[in-house]
Amino acid sequence: MENLDYARLQMAFTLGFHIIFACIGMVMPFFMVVAHKKWLNTRNLVYLDLTKAWLKGVAIFFVTGAVSGTALSFELGMLWPEFMKHAGPVIGMPFSLEGAAFFVEAIALGFYLYGWKKLPETFHWITGIIIGVSGVLSGILVVSANAWMNAPTGFDVINGEFVNIDPVKAFLNEAWFTQALHMTLAAFAATGFAVAGIHAFQILRNKRPELHKAAFKIAILFGGIAALLQPISGDISAKDVAERQPIKLAAMEAHYETERGAPLFIGGIVDEENKEVTNRIEIPKALSFLAFGDFDAEVKGLNDFPEENLPPVSIVHYAFQTMVGIGSLMMLAAVVYFISLKKKSWMEKRKYWWLFALLSPLGFIAVEAGWVVTEVGRQPWIVYNIMRTSEAVTPMPGLKYSFFLYLGVYISLAITVTWLMRRQIKVLNNPND
Amino acid sequence: MLYVVLFFTFFSLFLYVLLGGADFGAGIVELFSSRENKKLNRDTIYKVMGPVWEANHIWLIILIVILWIAFPEYFNIIIIYLHIPLTLVLLGITMRGVAFIFRHYDAIVDKSQDWYNRMFRISSLITPVFLGMSFGALISGEIMITDDFSETTFSEIFMHPWLNVFTFLTGLFYASLCAFLASTLLIGETTGDVRRMYSRKSAVFTVVLVIIGALVLLYGYLTDMVFVKDFLRNSLSLIAIALSGILLIPLWRAIRKQHSIFTRIFAGIQILLVIFAAVNTHFPNIIITQTSEVNMLEGVAPDEVIKVLAISLIIGGGFILPGLFHLMKSFNMINPSNSTEKQ
Repeated sequence: MENLDYARLQMAFTLGFHIIFACIGMVMPFFMVVAHKKWLNTRNLVYLDLTKAWLKGVAIFFVTGAVSGTALSFELGMLWPEFMKHAGPVIGMPFSLEGAAFFVEAIALGFYLYGWKKLPETFHWITGIIIGVSGVLSGILVVSANAWMNAPTGFDVINGEFVNIDPVKAFLNEAWFTQALHMTLAAFAATGFAVAGIHAFQILRNKRPELHKAAFKIAILFGGIAALLQPISGDISAKDVAERQPIKLAAMEAHYETERGAPLFIGGIVDEENKEVTNRIEIPKALSFLAFGDFDAEVKGLNDFPEENLPPVSIVHYAFQTMVGIGSLMMLAAVVYFISLKKKSWMEKRKYWWLFALLSPLGFIAVEAGWVVTEVGRQPWIVYNIMRTSEAVTPMPGLKYSFFLYLGVYISLAITVTWLMRRQIKVLNNPND
Repeated sequence: MLYVVLFFTFFSLFLYVLLGGADFGAGIVELFSSRENKKLNRDTIYKVMGPVWEANHIWLIILIVILWIAFPEYFNIIIIYLHIPLTLVLLGITMRGVAFIFRHYDAIVDKSQDWYNRMFRISSLITPVFLGMSFGALISGEIMITDDFSETTFSEIFMHPWLNVFTFLTGLFYASLCAFLASTLLIGETTGDVRRMYSRKSAVFTVVLVIIGALVLLYGYLTDMVFVKDFLRNSLSLIAIALSGILLIPLWRAIRKQHSIFTRIFAGIQILLVIFAAVNTHFPNIIITQTSEVNMLEGVAPDEVIKVLAISLIIGGGFILPGLFHLMKSFNMINPSNSTEKQ
């Protein structure tokens, strides 16, 4: 493998790591403030225990997200200096606002963490809301910068230089809204299901079921609503990608031939050499309809584009299938939950809790798969149709070592954080030890 | 508008050196303490810095973001040629951040605390050392900017510029500055035995700081380093350094009188003077390579970008600064002498 490949791997790996922590850090505060509100209203100690347990989780995830985010702000330049040199000023606006939003989040977290019994109760609670709101805002701003890489605008390229820069236009690029919406819902769905699943598992183990049921209800409410809305956002995104990045759409579907009334492929094994997909299920005309709202619309196939502009098709296709498959499962599970609010007997069954316990990690797999679709699907471009990833990479050799260093550090961090979470749950389950 | 951006650039740099530095320093002080004092220090810094400790480090992100948006060509050189020390800084920041949170938020207190503590102390020392080394590399005149990598070795371009005697001294200088800051500021926060401990540490680190500072200048002078020679010729920089030395007297008096607000103000001014002295010498050419000097203000981003950035910074600052002030005030960090009964 070349330097470029290691740079890509390192970026993918550190982003993939950061995304999980950032999602949890931005969504869990909302669960926390709901539990906190219930404690203030009912003075039921269960809610206080829950709020404090979630708070510790938020603190640990926030900090891990913050330090990995700090690392990323450097890595963007360290791995892709040419990209930052030209694109930095163009996409600076969302990044500088993100810095501010993140700062506000850290300040609010300071208030919230240390404010118990020291601050007026309502003010203390409101600082919790600020953590969540500024967290979501940070997420949206960063995604907007990424969206610009897919829909670059707000500048002209003259002799290789980016001139006539309009930062506001770059910020409000064509992709920002669809991407930000999709990612925010994904964060809520994934975190909601992950947290709900962990508590469902504790209910199965019959540890403090009253507390874990309360926790489950809060988490699944957020996760369930987001999972139900996500297909709509997905549809908006697909239509947007079809319009702006036809190659990405074709790669997502592993669609090689241009045709009218194109079918939708479900599953299938991509044979990149012979440019075909075997063992697939076809739904006639569905792709044309989903992409353009017209059963007979023309969908461009990969064969119509120059070879050197194609992304690795199979990775994009499998990632897309994974994301959509898991998304559909989560949507069904959300339906199950909302029905169970009427049919209370379902909640008595172990099967019910197993369903959510098993779904727990899937949301994050879908989030990662979604980012693979966005990022790998844009290759070989770092800025779509403007700058190739290979032109942006650092001239420093030996990125192999840096990649393995990050890999080692982040894997040990992930293991430690998981271990810490288990300890949190253990203490939560045995409050009197 | 460029002035607004420049103000925020140096303002973030100042606050990061001051607040982030005090944070690092607290870990360094702990590293060089007896077993018993380690525990005292651990509890003190949790109490004193707890609520703002994460906020202190966000100034670094703000600084980096400003650099890449407003000064892309300047940033480009830093980020390519200092790849390795900055990677080590990042590892240090990561280790330190997570170790702090692990040691205070792990639900079970057991043997693993020893690991968190060790990780916290060691990373508190090495991070500022590598930060200082990175800054040293920028001014040492050893960086070699080239497009042709076939004529040179990896070590010549990516190792030697930051890994030499001078940068090692600048690294130690920043680390001892951090330790001096932390031990001095913590005196005002404590009473009795702990207070005496910090007073002793503060005296030791002041001496260490002055010695290393002198060594940096001496070594630079003896090896004909451009930056150091210019520094010694620059009367403003010299006055600034002399003033920061003289300020030690009122600083110590404020400490003796337990006047913690003045203690902070004096320590803050000293840092400001040291940064001013370092930056003023060569501004705006803050990168000195083997053959040339890089002007920070050349290749600055277009006006439209600077305008939007300045507005974003003003808006962001409008949220951050009052919030931060209120946070410090709420937890009696601004006037800690009132805080004893509340804890």
